[in-house]
Amino acid sequence: MTEDCLLVARGLTRRYGPRAALVGLDLALARGDCLGLLGLNGAGKSTTLKILTGVLAPHAGTVAIGGHDLARTPLAAKRLLGYLPDVPPLFPDARVDEYLALCARLREVREVEAAVGRAKARCGLADVGQRLIRNLSKGYQQRVGLAQAIVHEPALLVLDEPTVGLDPVQIRDVRLLVAALAREHAVILSTHLLAEVQQICTRVAVLHEGRLVHEGPLAGDACWLRLRLRAATQLGRLQAIPGVQQVQPADDGAWLLRVATPAAAEHVAAAVTKENLGLLELRVADSALEQTFLALTVGHRAQAGA
Amino acid sequence: MIDAVVRREVTSLFRAPFAWAVLAGLQFVLAYQFLAQLDIFDELQPRLARLAAPPGVTQLVVQPLLVTVAMLLLFIVPALTMQSLAGERRAGTLALWYSSPIALRTLVGGKFIGVLCLLAVPWASTALMPFTLAWGTALDFGTLAAGLLGLALLMMAAAAIGLFFSALTSQPTLAALGGFACLMFLWMCDWSGRLDGEPTLFTQLSMMNHFQNFVRGYVDSADLAYFLLVTVGALALTVWRLDGDRRAL
Repeated sequence: MTEDCLLVARGLTRRYGPRAALVGLDLALARGDCLGLLGLNGAGKSTTLKILTGVLAPHAGTVAIGGHDLARTPLAAKRLLGYLPDVPPLFPDARVDEYLALCARLREVREVEAAVGRAKARCGLADVGQRLIRNLSKGYQQRVGLAQAIVHEPALLVLDEPTVGLDPVQIRDVRLLVAALAREHAVILSTHLLAEVQQICTRVAVLHEGRLVHEGPLAGDACWLRLRLRAATQLGRLQAIPGVQQVQPADDGAWLLRVATPAAAEHVAAAVTKENLGLLELRVADSALEQTFLALTVGHRAQAGA
Repeated sequence: MIDAVVRREVTSLFRAPFAWAVLAGLQFVLAYQFLAQLDIFDELQPRLARLAAPPGVTQLVVQPLLVTVAMLLLFIVPALTMQSLAGERRAGTLALWYSSPIALRTLVGGKFIGVLCLLAVPWASTALMPFTLAWGTALDFGTLAAGLLGLALLMMAAAAIGLFFSALTSQPTLAALGGFACLMFLWMCDWSGRLDGEPTLFTQLSMMNHFQNFVRGYVDSADLAYFLLVTVGALALTVWRLDGDRRAL
């Protein structure tokens, strides 16, 4: 698996003074993967991305991009890399076109003008090419930051909270753009928004206090319904309801039903009423990802506090 | 690729009003001094004519002018370089360079050349002022050329030192003060032992000593080596310091 992986990170450790920000992190990413890096504030997400992009060196561990070791052959590795830090690295006194052309030249793009035009079109910047970056709104500045990261069509795109500070329409646009990019490139994005990961990512990694506590593919688009009944019933009878794929008992006596779409709630309600089971509660449950995330992070904290 | 860095540095220097204000102020002071020296020369001329080997206009007008430019550069250069790395560190834009396929020495070299492009303006105007005298009097072109070479070398050394201090901090003001203090020390570090006449380590360290030789018209390889060593050393330290930003300690 390691050979065809675009990004391989092994045993990454980084300390800030006595505080360990990252401990023994392993990550691997193939082309076409979109990895969502989740974690609470201070979990080490930004540190991880800084190390993966060569902005910060790890105390221990190695990073290889496309087989090029980031510490030994940094230039070859960085040619494959596009990075949007949490604060977009913009020069306020530059025009958008100038700035993107500079970034394209830095990444050794041959046809600079065409590349800049393409990046601007993808990020919705076609009309602001001659504006000074200083005078753009925060949302547009974020888009310029994104355009900078994709101007050279990198094989690996690293985005640190790409939708922060955008309005809902821009958030949707950026998510669509990232999802489109993820089809041809590998993408890592950090966020604390679970919905973002669910919408665009194929894999998810959860960081907690500098350690990787979960890594795996994202479970489909399925959604879970939470059902509470007055009368006792059997798992098999619920499973027989049309549209229900899987049934699990929840911890407090309720049931969790896995369904293809939330619209299946209609069938569930009809069936339960027909059998007169006493419907007390029926709603879309917290997603599986949310449950995993809370269990892994808040759960850890509760254990640590106990 | 270094041209992209140079262009960015020149753009950022010339798009800020600061550089223009500094250049205008410098030009005003130089013009004033140039005219004042000319005036003195004019008054002294009848008495000078009686001397056996009188000092010419190059010694009496151009040499003091070059020393004034050099003194002013000690203030000006750190102020021009303070933004170039400290400002970028504060704004978070260093991440752009660090994550791009560009070596740190290319980055530092590009910024250094960018600053020199700006300093070329006061260098050229300093050079042009004496040339206006060539219509009315005989200039000592050899001495003049040596002085201008010394000025260029001084600018290089000052720019490199300014960049190094800019790399040390994320506070541009602190970078300017540090660079200024360092240049000032190098300029006057041999003042205390000067009257003894015994050359000391500080005589060798003193930037002014080495610069004065050029102004007097001597091009000594030791002076040349001094300025080149200071320049290359400061640039190497800058690269080392930037590398330390990401290095794990």
